[in-house]
Amino acid sequence: MAHDDPHRFADIHEELHRHLPSEPALRVKALESLLVEKGMLDPKAVDAWIAVYTEEIGPKRGATLVAKAWLDPAFKQRLLGDGARVIVELGFEGWAGGHFKVVENTPAIHNMVVCTLCSCYPHAVLGVPPNWYKSAAYRARAVREPRAVLAEFGEIMPGHVEIRVWDSTSELRYMVLPERPPGTEGWSEAELAGLVTRNAMIGTQRTLRADRSGSP
Amino acid sequence: MDSIHDLGGRQGFGPIVTDEPDEPFHAAWEARLLGIVRAMSRPSGWTIDRFRFARESIAPVDYLTRAYYDQWLQTYAALLIDSGVATVAEIASGKAAGNSPDLAPPMTAAAVAAAKRTTIRYDRPIDRAPRFAVGDRVVTRRDGAPGHTRLPLYARGRQGTVEHEHGAHVLPDRNVDGEGHAEPLYTVSFAATELWPDAAGLRDRICLDLWESYLAAA
Repeated sequence: MAHDDPHRFADIHEELHRHLPSEPALRVKALESLLVEKGMLDPKAVDAWIAVYTEEIGPKRGATLVAKAWLDPAFKQRLLGDGARVIVELGFEGWAGGHFKVVENTPAIHNMVVCTLCSCYPHAVLGVPPNWYKSAAYRARAVREPRAVLAEFGEIMPGHVEIRVWDSTSELRYMVLPERPPGTEGWSEAELAGLVTRNAMIGTQRTLRADRSGSP
Repeated sequence: MDSIHDLGGRQGFGPIVTDEPDEPFHAAWEARLLGIVRAMSRPSGWTIDRFRFARESIAPVDYLTRAYYDQWLQTYAALLIDSGVATVAEIASGKAAGNSPDLAPPMTAAAVAAAKRTTIRYDRPIDRAPRFAVGDRVVTRRDGAPGHTRLPLYARGRQGTVEHEHGAHVLPDRNVDGEGHAEPLYTVSFAATELWPDAAGLRDRICLDLWESYLAAA
């Protein structure tokens, strides 16, 4: 079982492909039953994790970081300098949060995050990634034609703006700090957080709008 | 391993589906699978790089056509078999045929509150200085590796600039079996024009995190 033998897992996959049930839902059911029977899984813990990822860990956490950074320059500097420490202070640490890097949009720079090799994503602050982020099309195209990808998300990027695409090849996880939209002077942290979208924190949306209807 | 998972820059894919619903899960089985993965007892040696190597080893046609969490299921099934705690027949039927593995009792629902805040770090102290400094010009290795590696095809044999130095991190190429060998890790940026013939005239940059053994002085 060499660590670099390309057949080590490929041969197992071949067997699984031939024998597993055809429907994903049936495969998952069989796996859960087996793990419970083997004493490796408590179904109540599965329920608890689903609740965590449905109700608690999601892009609202990232939006809170963004709103705080917009309101407090010292917080912003700490967030950009040592994001992993800041998320611990807010109780947001967790899965894939050990090395966390926030990159800042400016009038001259737009940042966009991808993982071309798998699907690395800052789960601890953005929750479960959208399907498009994990899709082959996004992973293939984001590094090669980011402007075409952004156009599909409705963002036409002027030539003078430099796009920086961050390919998450290590355990560092990236989040984009979008620009604060004009017309939000005097807004509260909760109001500001309410207009920050998940896509803006991945970098497939550049322009946020001062629209209070999205705030809590 | 130069398989289809290494997607960066490949052409022929269609538009991105940008209008999917906001809910984190789009089917009950997807949520169930993520919950199983987070809650299950793990045999020793299940590093993030072993998971990635196992997923990269899915046959290319399956990798491109199976739903994301279905790939995860297939990957965890392969890991269970590789570790000797389940057989293909058991995973297919959902019924245990052999003895239960000698593992710690599974996570309880009450333990999720602490587990959800668990963070794994991959930086390690090493007793030598990094070879490169911020601003250095570097060139990436031309070839891949037979097993797991994190140097994508599209960035091999290319020149870039060191943007950040992150200390030493565990080298994925040698972490499939948990070796834990660490090397200096850098963020290296590449001009889009260095990577893509179609980027002429653009000043965009692509940033990757790359380990020292992936790099040489340019």
